[in-house]
Amino acid sequence: MSIVLSAENLHFDYGKTQILKGVSLELKEGAIVSLLGPNGTGKSTLIKLILGLLSPKAGHVSVYGKELTKYGVRERAKTIAYVPQSSSVAFAFSALDVVMMGRVSRQSWFANPSRLDKEISMHSMERLGVAHLADRAYPTMSGGEKQLTLIARALAQEAKILVMDEPISGLDYGNQLRLLETIISLSKDGYSFLKSTHFPEHAMMIGGTTLAIKGGAVIGEGASRDIVTNELIKILYDTTVEIKSTDCGYPVCVPKFFKNIKETA
Amino acid sequence: MKNAFWVMFCLALLALSIFASMGMGRYDIPIRELASFLSWDFLGLGAKPIDSDLYANIIFDIRMPRIFAAAMVGAALAVSGGAFQAMFVNPLVSPGILGVLAGASFGAALGIMVSEEWITVQLLAFTFGFAAVIVAIGVANIYKEASGKTILLVLGGVISSALFSALLSVVKYTADPYNKLPAIVYWLMGSFGAVDKNTALIVFGPMLAGIIILSLMGKYLNILSLGDDDAKALGVRVGLVRTAAIFFATLISSLTVVLAGMIGWVGLIIPHIARFLVGPDNRILLPMCALLGAAFLVIVDTVCRTAMSVEIPVGIATSLIGIPIFILALKGAKKGFA
Repeated sequence: MSIVLSAENLHFDYGKTQILKGVSLELKEGAIVSLLGPNGTGKSTLIKLILGLLSPKAGHVSVYGKELTKYGVRERAKTIAYVPQSSSVAFAFSALDVVMMGRVSRQSWFANPSRLDKEISMHSMERLGVAHLADRAYPTMSGGEKQLTLIARALAQEAKILVMDEPISGLDYGNQLRLLETIISLSKDGYSFLKSTHFPEHAMMIGGTTLAIKGGAVIGEGASRDIVTNELIKILYDTTVEIKSTDCGYPVCVPKFFKNIKETA
Repeated sequence: MKNAFWVMFCLALLALSIFASMGMGRYDIPIRELASFLSWDFLGLGAKPIDSDLYANIIFDIRMPRIFAAAMVGAALAVSGGAFQAMFVNPLVSPGILGVLAGASFGAALGIMVSEEWITVQLLAFTFGFAAVIVAIGVANIYKEASGKTILLVLGGVISSALFSALLSVVKYTADPYNKLPAIVYWLMGSFGAVDKNTALIVFGPMLAGIIILSLMGKYLNILSLGDDDAKALGVRVGLVRTAAIFFATLISSLTVVLAGMIGWVGLIIPHIARFLVGPDNRILLPMCALLGAAFLVIVDTVCRTAMSVEIPVGIATSLIGIPIFILALKGAKKGFA
């Protein structure tokens, strides 16, 4: 599998506060890379550097072997799509309107969306199971529905690299599982994912590789099921869990306090 | 379909208000005579009306420049208000947010104070309108780390407006209180009374161009309302779109001051009403703002020059008529910007 995206030795700071101290990563075609790390550790900053929304103080990002800075804005949008943590829209655009905005880099300058744009947008919404919300006003939708709409927008963009900032956080349990399933099936279609997550279980379930980040530096990297261990979680989150595997091989994290409760009961 | 209806409706409303306004004034021209004169003049239909010379003088030399100036100013203020609302992702923004109206008012007042020439007043109004926006952008860019953030632009606009309002007060305070000061005060209330054909013809071109270009930018303004990061990731050159929007909005709104002084409220209420009618999509919303703003100001100005024996300053009338309309519109338009 060829490497679609790589970042080398990224440094970033906001004034005196150093955020990233030399982070490198690689994303292969059809692969899923999960970023795991505590709050405020620079995951979102890393994502913005990789999207070119921020410029690194040192290091560089290349996409399909070409420096990210050499991409034009439109060209970049055809290559990498972004799913933000949340997006607030003050005006009552419909969900379909928001998804169709993902098509802008594919349209000529002042062209209106074509029938094809609309079809692709509807198809993306169907794939995320939100086609029935097409006419709903975006600001009136729930957090989860908005999140799924934003992912549909990224699909409509038709970029093969999807960068997601905690796509799971706002979703209800059913939508979480559906989204994970969708990510796996899209990765089989050749989409590559870089996503930050707060759920070590999801990283293990989805497979791929995990990049553990703490204090702006990578402290562990490897196949998700190997690298996510009791020790790693202790280091990252300062909490004690025991990782177990169910009959079918599905990994779960059992918190220590749960065992304590059971023993005292 | 609904949108097509409203566009047609507003076009008809604009045409009707222009037609009615041509017949109304100190010398009333009855509708039937107005219609037969216009159809004779433009289409060559029917016989030459007896009063045709008089009518030509009243309609083409006196009323038309004023009516078209009102239409153009209404369209310009509404479109620049609508464009700024999209750009700042805030439905409470009006064209003056970056200080253009404060700057242009100061320029006009300065012109009235130092010169007897009308052209000086107009040039200074235009120049200081732009200067105020440049000050606002300059202030916003002092903070390098956060440069380009809209919140800093708003702050820059507040500072720039305050600066030029203070300078305006200085001019008022030092102006000759017997003939200069009243002229300044009257100018600041807004009026189409001073519109002359030549100025109108000069500024119509740039104003129309600005209105059309902003309307064409609708697609990109839509995407700006998703926020900067999203817009960039979708492939929009946010800085370019924002600079272009600010430039053209500043151009057309400072030209409104050149033509008619300060006219408030149009740039705030018309985009709201338009959004209520056709939704938030700027590709249709901005043309709608133009039509509705033009019709609104033609109607208000006609009321201003016919309702009483003395002319009512149009800036006062837009506020007095605009506020109740705005309250009514807000009542129904909550869904427009939930």
